Amino acid sequence: MSTVTIPTPASSWPKMRGFRLAELGVLLFFCIVMALPILFMLIGSFNINPPGQPQVFGFDNWIRAFSDPQTLNALWMSFLFSIVRLIPSLTLAVIVAWLIARTDMPGGNTVEFLCWFAYFVPDFPLTLAWMLLLDPHYGFLNSMAMHLPFVTGPLFNPYSFWGIVFVHLGTGGIWLNVMLLTPVFRRLGASLEEAARVSGANTFTTLWRITFPVLSPMIIAIAVLSFIKGLESFNTELLLGLPARIYVYGTRIYDYLRQEPPAYGEATALGSVFLLVLFFLAFFYRRYLQGKKKFTVVTGSGYSTLRVKLGKWRYVAIGAFITWFLFMMVLPLTFLVIGSFMRRYGFFNISNPFTLSHWQNLFGDPLFIGSLTNSLIIASTTAILGIMIYSIVGYLLASKKLLFPALLEFFCWLPWVIPGILMSLGLLWIFLSTPLRGVLYGTVWGIALALTIHDSPVSTQAFKSAFMQLGPDLEEAARVSGASWRYTYRRILLPLVGPIAATVGMLNFGSALTSISTPVLLYSAESRPLSILLLEYSFTGEIERAAALGLLITFIICVMMLIGRGLGLRLTGPSREEAKPAAN
Amino acid sequence: MSANVLLEFKDAVKRYGDTTVVDGISFTVAPGEFFTLLGPSGCGKTTTLRMIAGLEMPDGGEITLQGRTLAAPARGIYVPIDKRNMGMVFQSYAIWPHLTVFENVAFPLRVRGEPKASLRKRVLDALEVVGLSGYENRGSTELSGGQQQRVALARAIVYTPALLLLDEPLSNLDVKLREQMRLELHALHKRLNLAVVYVTHDQSEALALSDRIAVVNKGKLEQVGTPSEVYEHPLTRFVGDFLGRTIILKGTMHKDGSESIVDIQGAGRVLVNGDAGFGDGTEVRILSRPEDISLLGMGEIVPNQVVGKVEHVAYMGDHLEYTIEAAGRTLILPSGKRDNHPVGASVRLVFDPACVTALSQ
Repeated sequence: MSTVTIPTPASSWPKMRGFRLAELGVLLFFCIVMALPILFMLIGSFNINPPGQPQVFGFDNWIRAFSDPQTLNALWMSFLFSIVRLIPSLTLAVIVAWLIARTDMPGGNTVEFLCWFAYFVPDFPLTLAWMLLLDPHYGFLNSMAMHLPFVTGPLFNPYSFWGIVFVHLGTGGIWLNVMLLTPVFRRLGASLEEAARVSGANTFTTLWRITFPVLSPMIIAIAVLSFIKGLESFNTELLLGLPARIYVYGTRIYDYLRQEPPAYGEATALGSVFLLVLFFLAFFYRRYLQGKKKFTVVTGSGYSTLRVKLGKWRYVAIGAFITWFLFMMVLPLTFLVIGSFMRRYGFFNISNPFTLSHWQNLFGDPLFIGSLTNSLIIASTTAILGIMIYSIVGYLLASKKLLFPALLEFFCWLPWVIPGILMSLGLLWIFLSTPLRGVLYGTVWGIALALTIHDSPVSTQAFKSAFMQLGPDLEEAARVSGASWRYTYRRILLPLVGPIAATVGMLNFGSALTSISTPVLLYSAESRPLSILLLEYSFTGEIERAAALGLLITFIICVMMLIGRGLGLRLTGPSREEAKPAAN
Repeated sequence: MSANVLLEFKDAVKRYGDTTVVDGISFTVAPGEFFTLLGPSGCGKTTTLRMIAGLEMPDGGEITLQGRTLAAPARGIYVPIDKRNMGMVFQSYAIWPHLTVFENVAFPLRVRGEPKASLRKRVLDALEVVGLSGYENRGSTELSGGQQQRVALARAIVYTPALLLLDEPLSNLDVKLREQMRLELHALHKRLNLAVVYVTHDQSEALALSDRIAVVNKGKLEQVGTPSEVYEHPLTRFVGDFLGRTIILKGTMHKDGSESIVDIQGAGRVLVNGDAGFGDGTEVRILSRPEDISLLGMGEIVPNQVVGKVEHVAYMGDHLEYTIEAAGRTLILPSGKRDNHPVGASVRLVFDPACVTALSQ
């Protein structure tokens, strides 16, 4: 049969036109809010004059930044912290995940729930709590230790390298690693281990020779991700590092910009170097992943029912976990409560040591009411904006009909690699030197935009996998039934991904409420959020009021997450596919 | 275009990158006709259906429904999916899990702004037609596969579409249910008098349901015809094979007046109905269905008989299956249990000229 075909560009077709428009629109948006800030920062680092003034180019910023030994030291410390923390964090996470998924340890579900809960406890209040416990002058544990024989001075000092490493054993990252690793252990096909056991290997040999090697690509992938996340860590380093003059690059940038006048040049130079190192890392990480494709077979069918019998050790295991949880979570939170009710924290022996005045002061502070309002506006805007933008991006990525899928995927993963403070630095540049200055600079909208950008990796992946699970049929059936795309989106697609949308919204609301590193460069007196107020309280020595505020934020987050869980919305951590940045 | 054409599918082409999935397929569907696209998986039949629905855009050709051009890439015409007035049942049924049975079926009417009063009646009517009365308040996830399919069907017919598109609707059902649904589908088609385009890879479904069958292979149309035409007189080897088991023997065409006789390499001679356009002395192949050939013990060989030798007999319960070597080929033929030909015996294969087709070599 003969056919005459006249090639027509697909874009001239009405159906694809809307689709292409959406794709190009999203790409343009990402270019403006992600690529442009980074570009501006790179260019800005060679600009000797502060933003807003005529540009003069030169290497002065770089020379000044790197002739200061503290700058290089800050970079080095960032890597050192991240690596040193990774080792205990990953070891513990692997052990706990293995215990939950592969052994007969009692209470596995409870352990998983506790990790889930602990992940949402914000790190800033926790760090405050450890200050209450470990401070050389008023720390409770130090005072207790003084009663021991041969102890003459404070035993612990949180304002130190090891203090910071220790506090991180209880903050988000480690709990997240447990949540990411547990499904990995669960999904390992039963037959691999069973085959080893039938071949005569005992439990330990099987674990050491089969289970861990087979899972090693996944464990390494998670290690790299949490290493990169660790570089971003800011809050604990700020609270505990500054008094001891220990700087990581994030706190160093913060320091540069707090100088009078702000040292934009040095900050952007440092940011640019860090960015180059990160891209270098990300590049090798992807090369590594590509080389390991053969291993992905292991998550085949046949979930394991074979569980290792721990015997009496099962009680030791659960006991050890509960002790760890009590010590790293319950103890600090308890002291946060005590601290918020003490007239002067640490003075247990004065008459009438407890008071409600810190709470009364907090709620009476006009700054608090303003900050609460700002925080609620910022967090709601972030949540809604995130749902609107990333549901579309997730839909586009799931459709597999994109012109530039790799580019879009790359943009979505970019904020995972780029720390909040760097992104804010770049955005600050954009806000200052464009007509958007009035709308975005120093306003709640600017902060909300920055936070929304920062939420892109997890939000996009959540929506993408939700849409991929739905498949195209449900949408196509509505279209064939005569519904327009917008009607279909509203009546069919959005209700079906509703639970995911609610989860994403709640996660983004929570992280917007607790983030410090993102808004710290972007806020002004009118747009100060609660987290920044918390920072100011703790810097001005009002640690009791800071404790009260920290508790309040923690309480809001926990209530939201528990409601979310009650509604059946679970945070299933990024799965195997989602844990890859910028997959092709 | 004649008055008796509802859908015209003309020279349609669809490519994905370098692969041409649909390579110039043309056919027409008459009003009220049950038209089936039959072929193996990946042959382009589903893509063809999706092009009619508007879910895929053709890269070439034209699609016309009731005189209205739905898609013509050369002229830049493309009617959006939702403006085509089609009813479609997906292979996965695509029942929206967040809506009840009633709301699923009501969806197309709501989109069209149907008034409330008549909407309820039309939905209940459609549910009655598919035998789901009383299920309207069920959640769609509480339904069995067969019931889901009925909901999908009710949703597709509730607004009297111009054309009903069915994409392998029976393939996800178990065997018993499939046969029952097949009968119901047949009855439904007769009752509604809707034109149907039906996609399947199951030849018995196609033969039982269709007014006409289009056999598709590798993106091309092999043959279009009534079930008996394509089954009894396949135009190509592929059609013959795909529609069931075939017996094929090589031979030479002899013209004897108006009669066409094929000489099977000395093993016998078989008459062919009509002349099929082959000249005297042409090398041809003859094709017949195994069930149209009977086995006889040895005797005098008359026309339409070919000699073979029994190599193996398999006991199949309700019949016997003979493996016979004839004219250099190994053939598998079923036979009743009463005929008993031992291994090694010579037998006569008796062909029915009405059921023999000659094909070129």
